[in-house]
Amino acid sequence: MNSDDDYYSDNDYDGSVGSDDESGSEDDYGFDLTTVEEDGTRRPPYTVLSEEDILSEQREAIDGVVSVLSVDTSTATTLLRFFKWSVSRLHDDWFQDEARVRAKVGLPPSSSNEGVAKASTTCQICFDEYAPDKLRSASCGHFFCQECWQGYLKTGINDGPGCLSMRCPLPDCNSLVPETLIEELVEADELAKYKRFHLRSYVEDNHKVKWCPAPGCCFAVELKSAVPAANEPLDIGCKCGTSFCWSCDQEAHRPVDCETVKKWVLKNSAESENMNWILANSKPCPKCKRPIEKNQGCMHMTCTPPCRFEFCWLCLAPWSEHGERTGGFYSCNRYDANKNAGEYDETEKRRENARNSLERYMHYYERWAAHEKARVKAQEDLKEMSDDKLKRLSECQSTPVSQLKFVTDAWTQIVECRRVIKWTYGYGFYAELSQDRRNFFEFMQGEAELSLDNLHRAAELELAPFLSLDTTPTSSPVPAGLAASPSTASYATSPAGSVSSLYGTTAAFDDFRSKLTGLTAITKHFFDTLVCQLEKGLDSSDNTQVIEAMVRSKTSEKWKI
Amino acid sequence: MAANSQLPRRIIKETQRLLSEPAPGISASPSEDNLRYFNVMILGPTQSPYEGGVYKLELFLPEEYPMAAPKVRFLTKIYHPNIDKLGRICLDILKDKWSPALQIRTVLLSIQALLSAPNPDDPLAEDIAKQWKEDEAKAVATAKEWTRQYAQG
Ligand SMILES: [Zn+2]
Ligand SMILES: [Zn+2]
Ligand SMILES: [Zn+2]
Ligand SMILES: [Zn+2]
Ligand SMILES: [Zn+2]
Ligand SMILES: [Zn+2]
Repeated sequence: MNSDDDYYSDNDYDGSVGSDDESGSEDDYGFDLTTVEEDGTRRPPYTVLSEEDILSEQREAIDGVVSVLSVDTSTATTLLRFFKWSVSRLHDDWFQDEARVRAKVGLPPSSSNEGVAKASTTCQICFDEYAPDKLRSASCGHFFCQECWQGYLKTGINDGPGCLSMRCPLPDCNSLVPETLIEELVEADELAKYKRFHLRSYVEDNHKVKWCPAPGCCFAVELKSAVPAANEPLDIGCKCGTSFCWSCDQEAHRPVDCETVKKWVLKNSAESENMNWILANSKPCPKCKRPIEKNQGCMHMTCTPPCRFEFCWLCLAPWSEHGERTGGFYSCNRYDANKNAGEYDETEKRRENARNSLERYMHYYERWAAHEKARVKAQEDLKEMSDDKLKRLSECQSTPVSQLKFVTDAWTQIVECRRVIKWTYGYGFYAELSQDRRNFFEFMQGEAELSLDNLHRAAELELAPFLSLDTTPTSSPVPAGLAASPSTASYATSPAGSVSSLYGTTAAFDDFRSKLTGLTAITKHFFDTLVCQLEKGLDSSDNTQVIEAMVRSKTSEKWKI
Repeated sequence: MAANSQLPRRIIKETQRLLSEPAPGISASPSEDNLRYFNVMILGPTQSPYEGGVYKLELFLPEEYPMAAPKVRFLTKIYHPNIDKLGRICLDILKDKWSPALQIRTVLLSIQALLSAPNPDDPLAEDIAKQWKEDEAKAVATAKEWTRQYAQG
């Protein structure tokens, strides 16, 4: 890629950032969700399983046990279920004391031949006498007629997953009903139910597999790495599009720990009534005071003409102060408790403290909520993009869809980053950090947030014109139909004429491509840094280096809008 | 009766045996118009607070019997931590521990045993169980009083 090279020329990028994006690796979740081993190799820490996958893994595990323990399939299945699908634990116990395992599980001794009746006997359930071929036993010599067995098994299966370990009907007999007997006697409907419980047991009894918690989702996730410690987050991206945390089933929240997320979610619900106003969709423009509705994802707002004031949705300061960094760092993300400092007597001080604690919470909550909203919006946009707009873009730009992956990559990145940045506000609220560490954290958070907003804005606003076949410059500076509606006011960005004359030309689209690709890469880089540093506990020894690297990679770019 | 003519052989056999060889201290006889409904009488076991009492119960065999447990209920008022004021009984074999190889006779013997050995740790009547654990002597006295008052008519 020609001009993209500019973005990767800096030494601070590891080459994989760019090349990954270009080659389009399949497991690209927009973030680095792979685990890095000691030796530096990367592998995904889990796999997503469909029902067929579950069945084939189950079959594989059973076949393995059949051949290693020299038992039949039914016995192997029973053993695996009993050992919660842990082959290694089963092997350990079995080879240590097979007889004990058999007794514990309820299997007959290996020499047993009690399954077949030798003489006519009275069935202990219906009290009728039957010939040997009409009687069955769970290999324990307690015989019941086929019909009574059928009733017994059917009742057990309809009672729930407990049917996977049904015992001989005789009270106090521990003999497990062999699967072969169930398959022989149970009708198709019940057998299907039984098989369903069997499938579920692979997920529900196995501590390395669990169902995706999204309602209606049929996928399961199997960990390939060790189960994380309690409170340690592990983001899972299900094939249904949901991302959730393995450890707490909440929405994915790496790098913030589960406990913080739980506290934060609880606090939000306790405060929800007080905070509703924060979720408002419109705020007065800080300059002309007209209400401006937020209907886009990024926080960079532009007032309707003629005002066109550009400001930050979160702090209402002019956007130029975010973008150009007059003096200090980007500081929209930090809470400054000293804003209102002054001379107080004790009572006033206490009142001020109380107010501060609410204000402090509001600061974090507003940002958390705004990023969540932006994430939801971006997710919808991403879906719309892949479902429909990408095809249109391909037609308008005479470019095959396969070469437009940079657009969905950008949106995927935006969705993931909105989620991460959101949780860093929950973290920021609770974390007890030294001033040094807090500064370091807020610097990275601020830079990550700013790059994300630039990326988001480019994906939202600058892409739109390329979706139109009309290449002639519009006479009005605002595209017709947009200006009239206040809800889309924010889309009236720059005087459009200067750019729109280039729309539709290959050069303009190529420029857009390199810009978006570059913004995606630097945003990913900044977020990877943020996530990595948070997981390392903001270790202060390399803070200065990290900050310098971020500043350098920024100043060497023309990525600002 | 049409319904009774389809009575499973097992129920008929159980009924015959209950009538011909009753268990000590227990009587159970089917109602005339419904052979799945039994009138039951259990004598309070000796050396229990229920000694000297005669307890009436009803027992019903549901359609699914013996795959499902019989339904049993005390009709006589009784002060017992595992029996509530509606006469419902907390007994494992009447619930998840039911097996089709159990019978009416085994159920009634288990209920009789429950009268000899109340289990306040698995209570159905919370208030009685609490009383039983806090002051057993007083609870036993109350149970005896109830026996005299309600089970000796
Ligand atoms: Zn039978
Ligand atoms: Zn048995
Ligand atoms: Zn899912
Ligand atoms: Zn979690
Ligand atoms: Zn304005
Ligand atoms: Zn701001």
